[in-house]
Amino acid sequence: MNETTTTKEPKILILATLSGGYAGADYVGQQHLNYSTNTSILPVRCPSMFSTEFYIKAFEKGIDGIIVMYSGTDSPFKGGPERTAVMVDQTYKKMGELGINIKRLKLAAICTVCKKPFLKQVNEMNETLNEIGFVQDELADQGKDK
Amino acid sequence: MTEKTNPKPEETKIGVYVCYCGGNISDVVDVEKVAEKMREHPNVTIARTDMSMCSDAGQSIVENDIKELGLNRVVIGACAPSLHEHTFRGTVARGGLNPYFFHHVGLREQDSWVHSNNPGGATEKAIRLMYAGIAKANLLKPLDMIKLKAERHALVIGGGVAGLRAAYDIAGRGINVTLIEKTPFLGGRMAQLETVFPTGNNAREDLHSLINEVRTHPLITIHTLSELVNIRGYIGNYDVQIRSQSRGVSGDNAEAALAACTQEVPDDFNYGLTKRKVVYRAYEGCFPSTPAVDWEHYDGKPIEIDGQKVIFENKKKTFDLRIGAIVIATGFQPYEPPRGDYGYDELPEVVTLPQFIRHMGLRDGNVGELTWKGHPVRDIAAIHCVGSRHLAGVHEPQPDGILNNYCSRVCCTATLHQVNELLDEYPNINVYDFYEDIRTYGLEHESYYTEASKKMVRFLRFHGDQRPEVVAAPEGDTHPVLVKGKDYLTNGLEVEVPVDLVILAVGMVPRPVDDLVDMMKIPKGDDRFLLEVHPKLRPVETPVPGIVLAGTAQSPMNIQESCNAASAAAAKVAVLLAAGQVELDPYVANVDLDKCEGTGACIEVCEYEDAIVLETMTVEGKEVQRAVVTPANCSGCGNCVSACPHHAIDVQGWEVAHYEAMVDAITMEVEI
Ligand SMILES: Cc1cc2nc3c(=O)[nH]c(=O)nc-3n(C[C@H](O)[C@H](O)[C@H](O)COP(=O)(O)OP(=O)(O)OC[C@H]3O[C@@H](n4cnc5c(N)ncnc54)[C@H](O)[C@@H]3O)c2cc1C
Repeated sequence: MNETTTTKEPKILILATLSGGYAGADYVGQQHLNYSTNTSILPVRCPSMFSTEFYIKAFEKGIDGIIVMYSGTDSPFKGGPERTAVMVDQTYKKMGELGINIKRLKLAAICTVCKKPFLKQVNEMNETLNEIGFVQDELADQGKDK
Repeated sequence: MTEKTNPKPEETKIGVYVCYCGGNISDVVDVEKVAEKMREHPNVTIARTDMSMCSDAGQSIVENDIKELGLNRVVIGACAPSLHEHTFRGTVARGGLNPYFFHHVGLREQDSWVHSNNPGGATEKAIRLMYAGIAKANLLKPLDMIKLKAERHALVIGGGVAGLRAAYDIAGRGINVTLIEKTPFLGGRMAQLETVFPTGNNAREDLHSLINEVRTHPLITIHTLSELVNIRGYIGNYDVQIRSQSRGVSGDNAEAALAACTQEVPDDFNYGLTKRKVVYRAYEGCFPSTPAVDWEHYDGKPIEIDGQKVIFENKKKTFDLRIGAIVIATGFQPYEPPRGDYGYDELPEVVTLPQFIRHMGLRDGNVGELTWKGHPVRDIAAIHCVGSRHLAGVHEPQPDGILNNYCSRVCCTATLHQVNELLDEYPNINVYDFYEDIRTYGLEHESYYTEASKKMVRFLRFHGDQRPEVVAAPEGDTHPVLVKGKDYLTNGLEVEVPVDLVILAVGMVPRPVDDLVDMMKIPKGDDRFLLEVHPKLRPVETPVPGIVLAGTAQSPMNIQESCNAASAAAAKVAVLLAAGQVELDPYVANVDLDKCEGTGACIEVCEYEDAIVLETMTVEGKEVQRAVVTPANCSGCGNCVSACPHHAIDVQGWEVAHYEAMVDAITMEVEI
């Protein structure tokens, strides 16, 4: 577990629902389609469980971009997608206050066979991060400004 | 047996296993390197690799390590958790651990298969994901499955051969079945066929023997003209609402109504080749035998029966049932070419294969000469792959924007079987078979092709992007239509074949079931057919527990395959419901009473009735309100988790702390 800072690439965290994005990511795999390796996909039941605090902490720890791949209207959970949207919205506000570019957080409905939308989200987040840089630089800049 | 203690994170002894997946993972990911890195982790007691962790031998390694090394957590990096998480929970339990002391990391679908262009990056990602898995495993708590009473009652949707077979097999295991069929009659598409491959039997005779078994089975209740309109609940306990339409006629007035009715519409049973009355039987010998009113087309005008004017009324009724599991057997419909495609719907001499089969069935015995619309038929062209194997950029997508790029599988054999039968009866007819590839798959089904060749069927092979064209022959020609195309069996020679009839071997498309898909939250594939969890390992299950698939609702299948799938679906249902109880994953909300302040914020965002309530309890001598979860009513969505200002509620097995630990692991830089 050596800690190094060799190949620095933006880190993308994908919170993907079992009934949507996670199954969608498996489907992309079954089709053997390539995307970037700087992605870490974590399965979630419904992202409505994540508070603003969770997202902010993740950015502070060095996650450069988060894509919440929820199930949208396909969600098996009543009220889950709506609450997820509320939490993401609240997080945008907090990000604004903290000077974290809100493009770092993206909510996208991905279905179990949405291979193109999945790849589009990953590619777009990579493009965004290439443009806006690392979150820690952004946070450091904020520190300097104060 | 299962360990109930929960060691502190620093005391965990984790066994980590990284699967080669027979090369599927190890061809890209340096699996040995991953295991080597895992050994550096302070909580990892052992890290091993294996060619196939899911094999008996692979699982035994884990079981033995748990026993011999005293492991109290297991992390396995392998294929998708949807495939083997369940398998490995069993492995861990057999080793003597609580099955929830296991975490599965997907290294195949989400790593090696998507990063084949970057093995170094894939290995680094595998290490990162495995570290995240270890971080979660450190925090896992022992959990017990939630046991709930399961209703020993299955609902089968669709009364075609697949639905009938599934219903009969489920009932045979002592489980009640309600079968609902949307139309007034049972049998589905099979009833519209004549002799069928591979047996050569009459389709309706075989079908009727199955219908007889189903309708006389004491545990099966049949509702025709019925549809599912609402569903709530979960495996073992679905509350469904069914809406039934009335037949409009009954008992004494049924036959009289049938005789008296004069309003006619195209007969859908004969694919529009004939007309039928709006009070009708699908065909002679159908079940139920009582005629029904075609509500879609009935003009509402009175019909005079025995001197009395009668207006039929569709008395709809809805009823509720509690159901343990559901089989979806909603079937397929033949592809209908757009007007003008291959001359369809413009040239009277162009028919689809289903129409041709009906035409053959409608003949009054062997009439010596085959005729079509009164004209003798001596030359026939059959064109394969109509509505199947469409190519992007060459063929137009369907109105829904989807390209029918799949092979419908059944049509090649069905076409050649029909052609062979035809030539048995009319050996002097010439058949020209235009095909892209002949796919008469199945044991000895090649014989349909060889038999057709022996019967002098002329095969002409086209390329998928250069399909034949069907045009009207010039006035005064010997035949009414010409089929033009290039034959690649003769080096792309331009051919022009004059024929009396063109048969389009149309593909299969699923029946539109978007209402069911929306209600049940089941996925559809790229091709619009309903999608199973895994084509090999879980071939009839949908991701929604307790909802399984049977027959052509899932993909093109012949009758034998439809029945195989239906029997598999029935076996699955029987396994689920036989014990009268189902076990659900314990992923429900759990309140930490030490942190709960009774704010009720969790209840405000909870959409599930009675899942969380505030109860009065005594804490340090004071009466206070605290949140209490009823596991059977909780979906485990986690709405409450983000709402609690005191972080006092979490979803068991999916805690926020797990994610925070995983993020820590992911953000750690790894060196390889
Ligand atoms: C031209 C042609 C020739 C063929 N020849 C052969 C052959 O020779 N040999 C062979 O093995 N196979 C043959 N097949 C294939 C065979 O027809 C199918 O395998 C079989 O009919 C599939 O049965 P099923 O029950 O899956 O679907 P279906 O027969 O389509 O039955 C589905 C039933 O579900 C009902 N339904 C639909 N939606 C709902 C709803 N929402 N609620 C309630 N009920 C609903 C429908 O009304 C229907 O009754 C042929 C197919 C075609 C097109």
